[in-house]
Amino acid sequence: MSNKNSLALFAARNGIFMALIVLVAFFSLLNKNFLTFGNAENIILQSAELGIVAIPLAFLLISGSVDLSIGAVASAAAVTSGLVMAATQNTLLGIGAGLALGLVAGAINGFLVSYVKLNPIVVTLGFLSIWAGYAQLVTSGRTVQRSSLPEDFRSLGTASIGPVPLQIVLLAIVVVLGWYVLNRTRFGKETLAIGGNEKAAYLMGVSVQLRRFQIFIASGVAASITGMLLTAKVQSASPVIGTGMELAALTVVLLGGIAFEGGIGRISGVVAGLLFFKVLNNGLVFLQASAFLQTILVGATLVIAVALDSTIQEVVKKARRQILQRVTPKSDITTTAR
Amino acid sequence: MSLASAVVAPRLEFRNLTVDFGATRALNAITASIQPGEIVGLLGHNGAGKTTLFNVVAGANPATSGTFLLGYEEISQKITPREIASKGVTVLYQDPALTGNLSVLDNLYLAQLAPFSRPDRAQAAAALERVGSDLDLDQLVDTLSLGERQLVALARGLLGKDMKVLLLDEPTAALGLKETEALHSLIRKFAKEGVAVVYVSHRLPDILQVCQRIIILSAGEIVADGPVTDYDARKLARALAPGLLEVERSELVLGQALLSVKHAGTPLSFREGEVVGLFGMAGGEQFAILERLFGLKGKYSTVLSGLLLEVSNPLSAMKQGIHLVPADREKDGLISGMSAAENTFLPWYRTIAGRGWWVSRDTGNADYDSARERLNILGPTRASTIDQFSGGNRQKHLIARWMFVKRPKILLLAQPTQGVDVGAKADIVRAVRAMAAQGTIVIVASAESDEIASICDRSYILFHDHVRERTAAKGFDEQLLADLLDLAQPQPHSQPDLLQKN
Repeated sequence: MSNKNSLALFAARNGIFMALIVLVAFFSLLNKNFLTFGNAENIILQSAELGIVAIPLAFLLISGSVDLSIGAVASAAAVTSGLVMAATQNTLLGIGAGLALGLVAGAINGFLVSYVKLNPIVVTLGFLSIWAGYAQLVTSGRTVQRSSLPEDFRSLGTASIGPVPLQIVLLAIVVVLGWYVLNRTRFGKETLAIGGNEKAAYLMGVSVQLRRFQIFIASGVAASITGMLLTAKVQSASPVIGTGMELAALTVVLLGGIAFEGGIGRISGVVAGLLFFKVLNNGLVFLQASAFLQTILVGATLVIAVALDSTIQEVVKKARRQILQRVTPKSDITTTAR
Repeated sequence: MSLASAVVAPRLEFRNLTVDFGATRALNAITASIQPGEIVGLLGHNGAGKTTLFNVVAGANPATSGTFLLGYEEISQKITPREIASKGVTVLYQDPALTGNLSVLDNLYLAQLAPFSRPDRAQAAAALERVGSDLDLDQLVDTLSLGERQLVALARGLLGKDMKVLLLDEPTAALGLKETEALHSLIRKFAKEGVAVVYVSHRLPDILQVCQRIIILSAGEIVADGPVTDYDARKLARALAPGLLEVERSELVLGQALLSVKHAGTPLSFREGEVVGLFGMAGGEQFAILERLFGLKGKYSTVLSGLLLEVSNPLSAMKQGIHLVPADREKDGLISGMSAAENTFLPWYRTIAGRGWWVSRDTGNADYDSARERLNILGPTRASTIDQFSGGNRQKHLIARWMFVKRPKILLLAQPTQGVDVGAKADIVRAVRAMAAQGTIVIVASAESDEIASICDRSYILFHDHVRERTAAKGFDEQLLADLLDLAQPQPHSQPDLLQKN
């Protein structure tokens, strides 16, 4: 009985890693060009932008909140920086403007959710519409063309540090930073505590509102970075450049085993979820699936991820309860988020 | 009806029942039999095996070896909880497992064996009547009190069958006096009708009042079994925790620090070196005083040793050395899913762990080990989730968090020994008193007179605006209750009060 529980617990917590391996094996069997170094690098390169927003989103979910405006904020930051650069030909000024927009967007979300205590789903859904509308409004719905962007900004799209593309370096920084903050700092432990039991966290002197506000700002800034990275990659700033990103990011995070009800999560899971999602996309391209079918699959994966999330939480809870009923539990089962 | 005549098989019989969890033996060769109509109190520490024994009978956990019988029928290892329920075994937990958003009627029929059994209103009403309840069948369970929900759970055990065995697991832990008495008379009634009852409770007086026989479990074995007349409360406490008796009250050494708090115009004073109680009704003013001191009611200022002490929120209170152990450890104290160590150190990462910038697996190792030793915490390792510890040991972690990582100047404890077994209680009392003796102002708020009496040197008794003071002496416990009842009497000159209408 105890072994069955430990096994269920293990499977629930590590399912995404196994699923990733199965998926890679599946596509490799179907197409021998799939499992190549070039394609692997390609997948990671394509994961970068999504990964950069998924990590802060994971923190939000862990703290028991959510941000649905990230795609729209990415678009808004992309066109803002694009327009500023088109007007001034100053790359730094443009990037600064994009970052500032992300900061402001995150701060507004954070203020309304954390201090005014409005529902995060409703608030960020509202701002999804607001920032998407803003992006269309300031550009009159037109893309800021390649020719109006300064040369050195465009070169960022293909820049690399040593042999490693810039996007991958940024992704690596965000992932390592995310892991460090969640597992090795007071900030991370307090984030887990807030999601696990907000009242208890407050009674331990945790500044619950400030923490949540800070995470929302991180989410906004990350979204703006992503928007600008995408701009540099496609060499033009489209007002719909980030559309749908919130769904993709949410899928990744939920696939990664972050509990929608908060308090639980690991960065390694998010990374596995990210790779799973992108491998699925990439594999479908190899199978020459229609782009519309891919959109349907993103939605389906999100629903499956939510279903998995609730199943996983059930299994974990049940296993914990049964472990608890034992007189002296085994000490090697650690269900802590780590 | 007659008890235990030679030809009647016992209602419930254990034969060499053993349960192993991995390498741990939870129950060791339990052999006992319980006759129809008998009410047996089952006592033991957290972890002694009470819950495991219940789980075996309820079909939730198979025995490793040995067996148990219901009447003449030997129960197979593979029986499911539903099948065992259909044989007339009912288990009543502290918080019955009912579905809140369904009606009473639906809940009664939820666990039936036949998947499409149609709710029979007359049968349901009859079952409710037998438990002495006139609840509306269509009422939502969410709107019921805890006591009423327990009645629904009991009625479920009577639905279309006879109740043969009733297992009670801490049913009165969250009940008021009236509801407890109602439940007790119901238990007696069932016993008269031939039900074999096994009753688990931490409330020793309840056990003494209701049971005819007491079985004491320790480390998975039966260590005592006899008629209730062999025991009294003190003897029971001793059997449960050998070596535990009254608190040793050595001479008080009062320190310099003096905290003054005003309650409704009456000054209350607390000195370094002594443990002072605040005793009152459940949910009474004593808890509000602790909350004010911890900054939970906004800005609050008082006087500590002649200096102004100001708090505005928990963090500001903590920074001034005021620590609060909340009354509800699960809701307000512990973070489920986080490790034992994290639960202990969470408030202090900003002072240890490189000021919060490097929390490693070893952060606070030494502090944790010493706290664990001082509070005698048992269970898995520091890296295990807090959920894997038993109730008493979870409470000890909560206390360790506020006592040992950083020494408090003022320690506020709300019902610190509530819902923990006698052994854990003794450990907590000892640690709290030691902390006071080393020079901390300790304030204990409680609605249980025995809790105040077992920890405190002195206590204030509070009822609304009225305050009385008592110093610990013989019969402290009874005196506290008498004072509270006295204060609660309608006063001839006080303004009109709801109480006067009674």
